[in-house]
Amino acid sequence: MPVISPSAFASPHPRIANDPATLVPAALREKVRRLERANSVGRNGKTAAVPLGIAAIDALLPDGGLLTGALHEIEAGPGPSGRVASHDGAALGFAAHLLSRFGPGTILWCRRPTGRFDAPPYASALSSWFDPARLLMVTAHRDEDLFWAMEEGLRCPGIAAVLGETRAVDPTAGRRLSLAAEKNGVPALLLRAQPAPPQSVCATRWRIASAPSCSTPGLKDVGAARWRLELRRNRFGTPSAAETPSWLLEWNDETHCLAVVPQALHGSSGTHFEERLVG
Amino acid sequence: MWHDGCPRLAAVNPHARAAGLRPRMRLADARALLPDIVTVAGEPQADLRLIEAIAGWCDRYTPWVAVDAMGGALADDIERACSTGGFGGDAGLLLDVTGCTHLFGEGEAGERALLADLVTRLARRDLSCRAAMADTAGAAWALARFAERHADLFCPSHGQRDALGSLPVEGLRLDAPILDTLLKLGLRHIGDLYPIPRAPLARRFGDRLLNCLDQALGTLAEPIEPRRIPPAFRTRLAFAEPIGRAEDIAAATSRLLAALCRQFEQAGVGARQLEIALYRVDGSVDRTSIGTSRPNRDNPKLMKLFEERLGELDPGFGVELMILAAPEVEAWSGTQDVLPDQNAPGIASGGDGTIDLADRLALRLGSENVVRLLSRDSHLPERVQVAAAVSSKPAAAGAWRRVASLKGARPTRLLQRPEPVEVTAFVPDDPPSVFHWRRHAHRIVRADGPERIANEWWRPRSDGTHPPAGTLPPVRDYYRVEDDDGGRFWLFRDGPYQLAANGQPTARWFLHGFCA
Repeated sequence: MPVISPSAFASPHPRIANDPATLVPAALREKVRRLERANSVGRNGKTAAVPLGIAAIDALLPDGGLLTGALHEIEAGPGPSGRVASHDGAALGFAAHLLSRFGPGTILWCRRPTGRFDAPPYASALSSWFDPARLLMVTAHRDEDLFWAMEEGLRCPGIAAVLGETRAVDPTAGRRLSLAAEKNGVPALLLRAQPAPPQSVCATRWRIASAPSCSTPGLKDVGAARWRLELRRNRFGTPSAAETPSWLLEWNDETHCLAVVPQALHGSSGTHFEERLVG
Repeated sequence: MWHDGCPRLAAVNPHARAAGLRPRMRLADARALLPDIVTVAGEPQADLRLIEAIAGWCDRYTPWVAVDAMGGALADDIERACSTGGFGGDAGLLLDVTGCTHLFGEGEAGERALLADLVTRLARRDLSCRAAMADTAGAAWALARFAERHADLFCPSHGQRDALGSLPVEGLRLDAPILDTLLKLGLRHIGDLYPIPRAPLARRFGDRLLNCLDQALGTLAEPIEPRRIPPAFRTRLAFAEPIGRAEDIAAATSRLLAALCRQFEQAGVGARQLEIALYRVDGSVDRTSIGTSRPNRDNPKLMKLFEERLGELDPGFGVELMILAAPEVEAWSGTQDVLPDQNAPGIASGGDGTIDLADRLALRLGSENVVRLLSRDSHLPERVQVAAAVSSKPAAAGAWRRVASLKGARPTRLLQRPEPVEVTAFVPDDPPSVFHWRRHAHRIVRADGPERIANEWWRPRSDGTHPPAGTLPPVRDYYRVEDDDGGRFWLFRDGPYQLAANGQPTARWFLHGFCA
């Protein structure tokens, strides 16, 4: 039985753009967008947006990529079974992929240790995405210190990107980070190990859950890492047909390439996933 | 008073000394000499605290201050002196004021003025002191303790031979046995030793007596070990009126910093650490310091670092003197740093402000919390990644990728401590089929492995011993597993599967990391 994804028929380009009734709002939206982001464009010759390298996703993002002068949130979502994710290894991998797109320069990585079960990022694995020699690791034991360190980093000219790992939700801090990022054209990323209540300040919010990988036929080995990625907020981007656009991505650790898994291959990814799609 | 099997005197006041009492004397003997003696239990630790505080205060005269703990030679171990009760009234301070007296006047007048200033300032704080100045530490020591009550305690240059002649031999800082013998021989004054030929003295008393004599007279050098290593660079600013407002202190710091930076420029160095000390009118000293990741003599940048710290300083009732010192300096490579370094794309080149950012972050969060990651050649996953100070040499470009390419797939997060998990496995040597972690059962669908990693037998154990020859190092078998929810984990079994005598498997399973 063929497997048909609900999003399979969605055109990559939004239909509303062709609708004459929405033309004016679209132009207006574009104008507002330019006003809002007057500062974020082009500092030190940097481009305003950096493509992710995945055409289907870049088409939805403003200027065809991830805005450099903005705040982006990445949160670890529940797995296919809906069970609370036990770790955010996949979200960290996606964050590392985003960080690798910004550069060159130092990456400021601020984190708040989580006590006894603390699991810091492991540079040996991060080297698949970027050179860990670029990392400046900061440990803050209070959220105020963490946000302060991130803000200081955003103001520093040598910093390519700032990432903060925290569970704290602080609208004021988020707003400050967003403004600092916009003013300096440096991206700020927030990595959350668990889904957090949405904040309006971030430009994009991504939810990543690890998805069953694809074994070599006939074997039970762990295949290339697969992630279920949802774009839950896309502030300046093009609206998508689906309410929350979602993709199944595969990270190839040998070619260092992140790509959307073709729909036809979903079936081999695991029985649970198949059931969910059909049912 | 202190105890050494029997109570002994630790210190005596002038009246008791006049009555013949001496420190270290047994209390019973003292009572025999002076039946109505009043004794107080000694508090050597409190004495030490007081003398340390005074020593800190004395930094205003010279950076070279030593605490003279015992009533004898400089105690190499102040703690020991405390425990044996040596910290009584005989403890003192030694100040090497060479090159510092010109601040108080020219030549001998300046030296006398410094001494007088020290005594009056201490007297103002109700501290009675006897301060002597001489060419040698030994002579000053003897003068301060054994000179006549109203004698002039200033010994002019090269005058120590005359000054010491009339003092008792106790002034030579001798051990008790030598002292007793000298007294028995009728050699009561230091001057009595001058005419005696040296060879018989050396034969009778050993080197000790002659060394002490020579050190007091200045024919033998006596190094003084300062309490704190004096910094090579320091500037001081004394105020006519005590200051207390934060803005004034900041302005004074800025002036001191400008002067110090000029010194740095002349010497071709930059500061790695700076310390500012506030000498308050009540005699206490408040200090704070800043550190930088690389030699720095950029006045505005250093001032910015100081601004974070000045708020912590408490001026108290007013500050009369500020000293800015650089305890740690390094050769400055300033202009070299701004050139782009092709080989180190990381934060090595500090021209882009990253180093300054790291300094600022380290100042607030602690330098151990702002690090870069270096790779280390090791098989053990937890040893591969090492946190290093920002100032350390960064990993070479591609070093990490090389490390990663030599190893198998690694998790994106590594638990600081592997967590024990309960597993169920169908076949003992296979990856488990289910593992329980944090009260969740993870049914394993796919697994890679094992990757066997043996302990590094060539490294000593954590307790410093080496494993005995011939024993196999402990091994870990790592498995990368994926559960039915797509979560990927890194598990290991600590050792091959074996059954113990009671039928239980000896190896345990641990969770060590989370994969992407």
